[in-house]
Amino acid sequence: MIGNKRAKKEGAPMKCQDTHILRDEKDTFSRQTVGAYFSCHLNTSQAMVEADSFLHLARPLGPALPGSQPTTAPLNVIIQPQAIFSILDHSLRRNTDSNTDNERVIGTLLGVRSEDGQEVEIRNCFAVGHTETAEQVEVDMDYQKQMLQFHLKANPKEVLVGWYATSAELNTFSALIQNFYGGQGDGTWPHPAVHLTVTTDAGKEIETRTYISAPVGVTADRAADSAAFTPVPHEIRYGEAEKSGLELIAGAKDDKDRTASVPTDIEALERQIEEVLGMLERVSKYVEAVIEEETPPSSALGQFLLNALALAPKVDPEDIERDFNNHIQDVLVVSYLANTIRTQIDLSNRLATAALTLGAGDGLGGGQTNGTGTEGRERGQRGGRGQRGGGGDRGDRGADRG
Amino acid sequence: MAETLKDTPLKAVQLEGLVVLKIIKHCSQAFPTTATGFLVGMDKAANLEITNSFPFPTVDVPATDGHHDNNAASNLAAAAPRAKANTTYQDEMIKKLREVNVDANNTGWYTSANLGNFVNLNMIENQYFYQKELNERTVAIVHDVSRSSQGSLSLRAFRLSPAFMNAYKEGKFTTESLQKSNLRYQDILLELPLQIHNSHLLTSFLHSLPNPVPTQEAQASQPPTLASLSQTPNPLAPNFNSLNLSIDPFLTQTTDLLLDSIETHHTELNNHQYYQRQLAREQAKITAWQQKRKSENASRALAKQSPLPEDEWQRLFKLPQEPGRLETLLNSRQVEQYARQVDGFAAGVSGKMFAVRGNLLPGAGEG
Repeated sequence: MIGNKRAKKEGAPMKCQDTHILRDEKDTFSRQTVGAYFSCHLNTSQAMVEADSFLHLARPLGPALPGSQPTTAPLNVIIQPQAIFSILDHSLRRNTDSNTDNERVIGTLLGVRSEDGQEVEIRNCFAVGHTETAEQVEVDMDYQKQMLQFHLKANPKEVLVGWYATSAELNTFSALIQNFYGGQGDGTWPHPAVHLTVTTDAGKEIETRTYISAPVGVTADRAADSAAFTPVPHEIRYGEAEKSGLELIAGAKDDKDRTASVPTDIEALERQIEEVLGMLERVSKYVEAVIEEETPPSSALGQFLLNALALAPKVDPEDIERDFNNHIQDVLVVSYLANTIRTQIDLSNRLATAALTLGAGDGLGGGQTNGTGTEGRERGQRGGRGQRGGGGDRGDRGADRG
Repeated sequence: MAETLKDTPLKAVQLEGLVVLKIIKHCSQAFPTTATGFLVGMDKAANLEITNSFPFPTVDVPATDGHHDNNAASNLAAAAPRAKANTTYQDEMIKKLREVNVDANNTGWYTSANLGNFVNLNMIENQYFYQKELNERTVAIVHDVSRSSQGSLSLRAFRLSPAFMNAYKEGKFTTESLQKSNLRYQDILLELPLQIHNSHLLTSFLHSLPNPVPTQEAQASQPPTLASLSQTPNPLAPNFNSLNLSIDPFLTQTTDLLLDSIETHHTELNNHQYYQRQLAREQAKITAWQQKRKSENASRALAKQSPLPEDEWQRLFKLPQEPGRLETLLNSRQVEQYARQVDGFAAGVSGKMFAVRGNLLPGAGEG
C-alpha cells in the first residue's frame, strides 16, 4: 500500500530524502518517510520557541477517500500558551497511585485549522483520564466524548485537532491513542491528528514536540497499534491581548513565593520607565565599550541604533507647546468633571436619604400627621435642592484645589 | 439561605497563571460581547485559590446576522452565570473536572468589562445568586479588556458586602430601609486584593524561555545583518503599551460612559420626583377627605347621629409605591468607578505628557 503511494509521489520535485525510523517494541517494521523538502522556517517576532531552520516533511499519507486528492502540503502547528499552561497544570495533578504506572498524562487538544489545512492552531485542551500498565492502556473514551461536547458548547469554533501527552516517549500505546484520535468518526479524519508532547520531568528543561502520523502495518491488527510519527514544526505564539497577562505571569518567575500582584496603572508605568532606562543604559554602555575599542563593533547594531535615533520626530516647539496644552487641558477637564459628577451624585444620594429625616418622622402610613409630614418632606426637598447647589460648588472648589 | 456566614471572611484571592490566560483569552475573543465563565478552586482559610476556569456555553442568539444582536448576545452572556441551563452544565463540568483531579469547588465566576462598566444589575444579581445559592465564599473576577489593551492588565476581584446581601435579600431599597441599614453605594462591593500565582512547573517553563536581557555569551555573538535584529524572537520582551500616549480614545469613551450614567441618574431622579409629587397629591386628597369627614362627624354629633368611621380613607386611597433606589445606588457606584479610573489615567498620562514635552523641548519644562 505505502509503497504504491510513494511511487506515485516520487514524481514531485524533491530536494532531499530524509529517513525517519520509529521502532516500537512489537512492530519491527521500519518505515521511511520520503518526499521531504527543506524550507526555511521564519519566526515571527512573537514566537516563543527557538526554531531556526526547520525540516518540513511531507505529510505521510493516510487512507484517502477514493477519488479525493490526498494533500502532501506541510503542516505547521501553532500553540497558544494557555494550552501549555493547562497541560503543565494537568501534569501536576496526575494520580500518584503506586499500582499504576502513570508517569504521563494525556488529554485532548482543541483548536482551529486554517482553511487549506496547512496550519493548526492549538488553542485549548482538556485532560482525559487514562491508566497505563505494562500490558495495556485504558483511555476514558466516554469522558473524552462528553468533555468534547461540553467544550464545543462553549467554543463552537474550536474543533478536535489531536492529543497531548506529558512524556517525550512514543510507544505502542502512543500509536494506539494516535490512531484513535486520527480515526474516522470521532477523530480528526480526514485531517491528521496532531500529537503534542511536553516533557515534565523534574529537573529537566521543558521540551515540546509535535507530531503527525501515518498508518503503517501489514495487517489490520498491526495497523491498529502502530503509526509512523513524523515531527512537524511548531511554535508557541500569543496574541496582543495575552501579552500583558503573560508579562504579569512571567513577572512572578523570579519570586520566591511564585506570586505577583496586579500592578496599578501608575506602578506599571513606573516599571516600564525603569525598564527603558535600563535598556538605554545597556545600549550606552555598549556604545562606550565600542568607542573604547573593548568590544568589537557591529555594523548591524550600529545601523539599528541609527534607525532608532532617526525615529525621533522633528516638530516645531510651538506645535508641541500647543498640542501639549490642548491635551493636558482635555485630560484635566475630564478628570475634574468626572470628580465633580461623582461628588454631585454622592451628595444627591445622601440628600435623598437625609431629606426624610428632616420631616416625616413617623413614616408614610401615619394618617393623622400626614399633612405636616408632607410639608416636612417638601421642605426637605427644597432644602435639598439648595444644599445641592452649594454642595456642587464645594465639590468644584475641592476639585480645583486637587 | 445563607444566614451562616463563615467566621473568617475572605481576605485575598489567588489566581493561577493558567486561569489568568484562560480568562484573557475568552474575554478578548468575545470582545465586545460580554463573556462570562466559571471559576473553580478551593478556599484556604481567608485565602481563595482559583486554580481553573471554564467558559459558559455561548448562547445561540436567533440568527439575525450582523452586529445588531450584539446587545442581545451581551445580555444573554451577562446573565449566563445564573441561568438555569448553565447550572446543569456547570455541575456536569465540575463532575468531569473532579475526575482529573482538578480542585472542583465552586469559587465564583468571571466577566469581561469595557472601561470599567461592570457595575450593573446583572453583575449584582449574578454575584448575589452565587453568594446565596451556591457557596458563600465566591468572588466575581472582572477583566477589563479595553484597559488591558492599553497597558497593564486589569483584573479585579469583587464580592458583595454582607450589608448589601441582607438588603438585597429583603428586596427593599426604599429610602426608609436605606436609612435604617445605613447602606451607601460605597458599601455594595468589596474589592479583594488579587495575586497571581504560578506552579513550580510553570516557573520552570518560564525560565526555559529566552530572557529579555541577553546574557554575556549572547552579547558576544554579533548579529550578522540588520534584518536578523528585528527578527529575534523574544517572548518576554517588555511590553511598552503603558508608555503609549493615546489620550483621546480613552477620554471620549469615558465621557460617553459618564454621560450615560448621568442620564440614568437623571431618569431615576425624575422617577423619584414623580413619586413624591404623586405622594403629596394623594396625601393632600387624604387630608381633605379627613377634614370633610371630621366636619361631617361634627355635624352628625350635633344632630345626635352616630359618627362615621374616620379610617375609611385607607380603603379609598392608595399611596403610590416608592421606586427602589437600587438602580441609583449602582449607578452611583459606577460613576465612582469611572471617576477613579479617570483619576488614575490622568495621573499616568500627565506624567507621560510632561516627559514628552521635556524630551522634545529641553529646557521648556522649567518655564
